[in-house]
Amino acid sequence: MANRQPTKAEIRRQKMEELVIYPIDWLEERSGLVGGIKYFLFRNVPSDINWMQTLGSAALTAFLVQAITGVILAMYYVPSAATDPHTGKPVAWESIVNISDNLTLGWLVRGMHKWGASVFIILMFLHMGRVFLFGAYKYPRELNWIVGVFILLSGLLEGFTGYLLPWDQTAYWATVVGINLNGTAPILGPWLAQFLRSGQEIGLETLPRFYSLHMLILPAGIIGLITLHLYLVVRLGVTSPPWSKEEAGGEPVEADEPARRRGLTQPVPRPANGTRMQAEPGGRD
Amino acid sequence: MEPEQPSPDTEHESLHEEAHLPSPSLWPIGFAIGIVVALVGLIIDPLFITTIGAAIAIVFGVLWARDATRELRRQPVDVEPERREAAAPAAEGGAAGAGLQEPVTRSVFLEGATLGLGGVIGALITLPVAGFMILPGFIRQKQHKVDLGPIEKFPVGSWFVATFIVNPAEGEVSRRAAFVRNNGPVAENGKQVPSFTIISNRCTHVGCPTQANGPTGAILGKPTIKEHTANGPVQFDPVVPAGYGCPCHGSQFDIEGNRTAGPAVRALDRYDFEIDHGRLVLLSTYSVSHVVGTGAQAQIYKYKHYDPGQHVDGPEQWFYPLAPPHH
Amino acid sequence: MAAIPKDKPTRIELARAQFARYKADVKSRGKPFFPYAMWHDTVMSLVVVATIIGLAAIWKWSAWGPHHDPTHKGLLGPIVDPPADPGTTSFVPRPDWYFYFLFYLLRIFKWPESVFLGTIGVPTIALVLLLGLPFLDRRLERRPSARPVALVAGVLVIISMAVLTWKGATAKEALASEVIADVPRWVQQENLPPAAVPGAKLFATAGCTSCHTYAGSGSSNLGAPDLTAIGSRNLGIQFQINHLKCPSCVTPGSPMPKFASLGDARLHELAVFLEASKGTH
Repeated sequence: MANRQPTKAEIRRQKMEELVIYPIDWLEERSGLVGGIKYFLFRNVPSDINWMQTLGSAALTAFLVQAITGVILAMYYVPSAATDPHTGKPVAWESIVNISDNLTLGWLVRGMHKWGASVFIILMFLHMGRVFLFGAYKYPRELNWIVGVFILLSGLLEGFTGYLLPWDQTAYWATVVGINLNGTAPILGPWLAQFLRSGQEIGLETLPRFYSLHMLILPAGIIGLITLHLYLVVRLGVTSPPWSKEEAGGEPVEADEPARRRGLTQPVPRPANGTRMQAEPGGRD
Repeated sequence: MEPEQPSPDTEHESLHEEAHLPSPSLWPIGFAIGIVVALVGLIIDPLFITTIGAAIAIVFGVLWARDATRELRRQPVDVEPERREAAAPAAEGGAAGAGLQEPVTRSVFLEGATLGLGGVIGALITLPVAGFMILPGFIRQKQHKVDLGPIEKFPVGSWFVATFIVNPAEGEVSRRAAFVRNNGPVAENGKQVPSFTIISNRCTHVGCPTQANGPTGAILGKPTIKEHTANGPVQFDPVVPAGYGCPCHGSQFDIEGNRTAGPAVRALDRYDFEIDHGRLVLLSTYSVSHVVGTGAQAQIYKYKHYDPGQHVDGPEQWFYPLAPPHH
Repeated sequence: MAAIPKDKPTRIELARAQFARYKADVKSRGKPFFPYAMWHDTVMSLVVVATIIGLAAIWKWSAWGPHHDPTHKGLLGPIVDPPADPGTTSFVPRPDWYFYFLFYLLRIFKWPESVFLGTIGVPTIALVLLLGLPFLDRRLERRPSARPVALVAGVLVIISMAVLTWKGATAKEALASEVIADVPRWVQQENLPPAAVPGAKLFATAGCTSCHTYAGSGSSNLGAPDLTAIGSRNLGIQFQINHLKCPSCVTPGSPMPKFASLGDARLHELAVFLEASKGTH
């Protein structure tokens, strides 16, 4: 408490703080964004979360790598299955060779995008396994699990559509098989296959269609789903590891099971109906 | 851009005490236009256009100055007071006597009209666009004829792996391979008609490229025949197949294309053909459930073209009741 | 705290009460996301980005090859594959590695009537189960030690996905153009006489190795036996020729296709090769 005159240094410091805070307050007053970011950053999470719970944000990072490298590759890639009359090679394939061989650091961006896809998918599966292990798909996080499954599905479809883009042998034939797999679905299968191919055979229109799916439709979907997924995580909170002694929320009580105690405190006498009536004493003993 | 409205009561009293606020005026617009025209005229046509621009600027500038100094010359300023007419009761279609007397009817109508109109706009935008996305892949699928060359190039009884471009306009993307054998002439309607066995190499499981199980030209010591036809470069690789096998999931076929092993759901597809001026011309592909017999005497159980993996006979044919249009 | 009624609470009421306790706990003894959790996330993100860059670098430099040839197959595959050829008859299609489990499913469902199960049926059922998991498992219990069904199911799924992926990665068909290169090794390894060499070449290119293994080459499919020592059974040249012409006539129920169209001369060469394969090794 200041019951003396502030020093020059303190006045200067205060003025500096005001200078920094002024634009933040300006933005907050006009948009409310700063409050949102502050809430996101400084919200409480359980004190016992562990490293396994970084897999989700790691998958997000991998997706961001894919998005950024993808946008840059799109500046040089040409989605045309036509044959270059001068070389006799497909134009799309040549643009990939150009990126890999000629353009400065093209090999790095293309490599990051190709291997980033595998890393993204691996991380999604690991994250899904972690959530399963923690039982973090149970109430109230069921919707988040469903959103996550759709993100996984979209990621796999991104891999499938992106695989065609280099228009080499592996790309072409993997896509032939993939489209025909869809074609075996009853009733609608043949129609779906023809829609994907844009024709009764893979032709010149197939590659641009997959390109549009890969870089416009699916990324829009994934970004929307990820936004919803993150919103739900912030809203519903991150779980403690279920085996943790300090687990936030304590142990669940089944309707028919007698309540069990574990942890460091003494048992609390139970009401006759077997459920807990008061909050767990928090913190360590 | 509008200068602030002076309140009428301070206008004459406080001229010398408070900041002078000019009366509202639209002349500056004309003045600005004049300046711009003059400057542009310097680039385009200094003599003519700049003069016009300067004239406009001067005229409007004078008018502006007169307006702005009106109160200095003690002339009354014409200022329209801000006034709004009360909103006229809306008599929009349907709602008789609509207005403040019957608010429920009007708002309900507006809700419905908004949603309905929104729906119409949405449909107007999405349906043609969705149609554009979907229809081109389905309509106007054309048959392409493939000229493989004169039939004399095909010695009777010899198999070839033929690769050809189905649609020259599309180029390499429409390259296909087929196993071709000239079966020799066969009697039909009292005439001798050439008979060919032309089997598509796309496996009927999920469409992988099958290979001939047998030595190719390199082992046989026979050269690859290269031709140039109206369909572009065509290549024939001699082969002695004992059957065809698929490298993906292990399907095997005999030399007539019947499935002998693996997950393939029917025999290999075949190409229809015609002889045009002594040249072998391939037409469309068709699907085959099985073939009995061999060569020119083969009985081919034909169906229209189905994609790989789709049964043409047996109970599972009912999975695919409606095939997309195919030439 | 939600008031819990005196009679037995429903599952959803218990769940809500637990969630309310969770929120209270996090509020009272939780730590701020920044910097505690965000630090973990940042470190992990750095590891992820470094891994991606590292893989890209290894791919580039291992594929460089002795003559800067981008089609050289390095540690992580070639930089560039040959351009798409829809008319090829010598390519083995494979999907990206994360689809190997689906690819191998297609090899498991090898009866034509069951194809749709492998292509659509099983993946759709798996997807439905995955989506429906929160509704199949509504117990409140989250500790793995108290969720035996979940744990067993999870472990089974992980193991089967891993096995399917690995089997998909190692599944191979033997392409004629690859196997022909093995013939000199066969001759040397199996002490084949010169008369058996034409038959050996035919064996390599006639598709026999798609189903039969021989001296470490080929792949085993459809129950076809290894033929390295077929000659030691002394079945005789004529038997071999008859069998090749019509395998199901000699061995009823055999899925082996008929090779009669190879012609008598080539069938004889093959028979000589088979009879000379005594498995001396």
